[in-house]
Amino acid sequence: MARAVWTGSLSFGLVNVPVALLSATRDLDVHFHQLHEPDGARIELRRFCAEEDVEVPLDELGHAYELDSGEQVVLTDEDLDAVAPERTRTIDIEAFVDLDEIDPILFDHPYWLVPTGESEGPLRAYRLLVETMGRTDRVALGRFVLRTKEYLVAVRVRDGALALTTMLFADEVRATEDIDAGGRKPARAQLDQAVALVEALSADWDPGAYEDRYRRRLQEVVRRKGKGQPVEAPEPEQEPAPASDLMAALKASLDDLRGGGASRPAGALEDLTRDELYERAQDEDVPGRSSMTKDELVAALSHRT
Amino acid sequence: MPRSLWNGTITFGAVAVPVKLHSAVDNQTVRFHEVHLRDGARIEHRRFCSKEDREVPREEVVKGAEVSRGRWVVVDQDEIDAAAGSRAHVVDVEHFVDAAAIDPVFYDRAYFLGAGDGGADAYRLLHDALERTGRAAIGRFTFHNREYLAAIRPYDGVLALHTMRFADELVPAGDLDVPGTRHAPEDREVEMAGRLVASLHERFRPERLHDEYREAVLGAIERKARGEEIEAPAQPEAEEHDDLLAALQASLDDHGGGTRRKKARA
Repeated sequence: MARAVWTGSLSFGLVNVPVALLSATRDLDVHFHQLHEPDGARIELRRFCAEEDVEVPLDELGHAYELDSGEQVVLTDEDLDAVAPERTRTIDIEAFVDLDEIDPILFDHPYWLVPTGESEGPLRAYRLLVETMGRTDRVALGRFVLRTKEYLVAVRVRDGALALTTMLFADEVRATEDIDAGGRKPARAQLDQAVALVEALSADWDPGAYEDRYRRRLQEVVRRKGKGQPVEAPEPEQEPAPASDLMAALKASLDDLRGGGASRPAGALEDLTRDELYERAQDEDVPGRSSMTKDELVAALSHRT
Repeated sequence: MPRSLWNGTITFGAVAVPVKLHSAVDNQTVRFHEVHLRDGARIEHRRFCSKEDREVPREEVVKGAEVSRGRWVVVDQDEIDAAAGSRAHVVDVEHFVDAAAIDPVFYDRAYFLGAGDGGADAYRLLHDALERTGRAAIGRFTFHNREYLAAIRPYDGVLALHTMRFADELVPAGDLDVPGTRHAPEDREVEMAGRLVASLHERFRPERLHDEYREAVLGAIERKARGEEIEAPAQPEAEEHDDLLAALQASLDDHGGGTRRKKARA
């Protein structure tokens, strides 16, 4: 099981449950490290005092904050630990709210909370929270401090366990008033057409259906490089121009879906993005693929199948 | 108008909606920089070769990925960028889904989209169509040389774009080691816990929740600037109740629990 990023207790009224916080995400990215080119050894970063030119051990590190006056105030680790010690040990549930009242823009990082210790009382208390909160779509709001930052957290039940999500404070989400919200309200007929197009292009949310293609391509880059094979980048695609006649574009899209969808077999090359076509071309080793347009890729690939 | 991070086009069917991407989040954490306690001088991070134990100049540093234990493949930035995918500034919408069906754990970073040049009406139309249908657009786009899965949904009169986590990046509950209990909670315990939850239930009002820690850190900085010592407030030890029923009863007697009592004391 993953290592705990924090241990402490979840407190609910006078009920305290010792818990461990585990990240609910796993890092599957390809990671790069700095290497020293001549000998291929790992690079280490060492802390040096800019003035004395000596290496600085961790216990001589301070945290400086610059005041508006330009004056520098230095806090030690102990000073920071003393700021809100209780919050570093306890997630105090302050209130329960309905999940659908929280806009997901406030959700930050997901974690799991699991009970620690073997004693029956706390384990039962954990189970009790799962049962009680699982019955309603209620979310517990609390706060705690993790690595010198206070987080507002939402605790809810997911798949029979307590899921904790750190949240942004409302003042950390920018106001939208400066964002260009577009033109006038669309005419009813136009909105009806747009709604019809959205519905025609709708599907069930199936998160498992999406693959991280970037991760796969990066793994492929590293694999090819490891074998001494060349790595070539695809040419950038052209950006489509906005349609001058929005209504005509909507109609054409709907006609294409209704008519074209029937005449064209599922999975036709024309339905793929240039990216997907490029990947097929790479698999098939089509010469000159990196400079081909989408249509040229379709043509080149259709000769082969 | 805030500066945009990326300009591009959302496409679905034959419709193209030019947009500008803006950041939606303004991190308010109090930021410090590292200094040497002895003299207050800045800390520099210097690159050392772990084998030769000597500082190395930047031009001798390359990037590598470990393909098997101790075996590294050196890759340059152009090659890493080759994995970016389509460099076209396009959010290619694959389909629309019921926004309420997306569990928030999938949302990663949030941005706002503003209408781009020449696309004011198309922008409004997409916004209104999403609002009316309760749907979010799911598509892919490339930002900072990395391809992301993204969800676009209406938010506060504009469009918000969230980069999305992939399903295999999430740890399923089944991977957790949650010890079982000898007895399921008793009916009476469930009933009392339900009452306690109900007594603490309120409407979600995010604007009323402030980062008190940030305020406390800024307060500590001020005291330190005046030359005062920073001392931790005395902390009562958390009470350990092995008797769950008694703890629930005591919390209910407290009219909603220790939180309120602690607040009154603070």
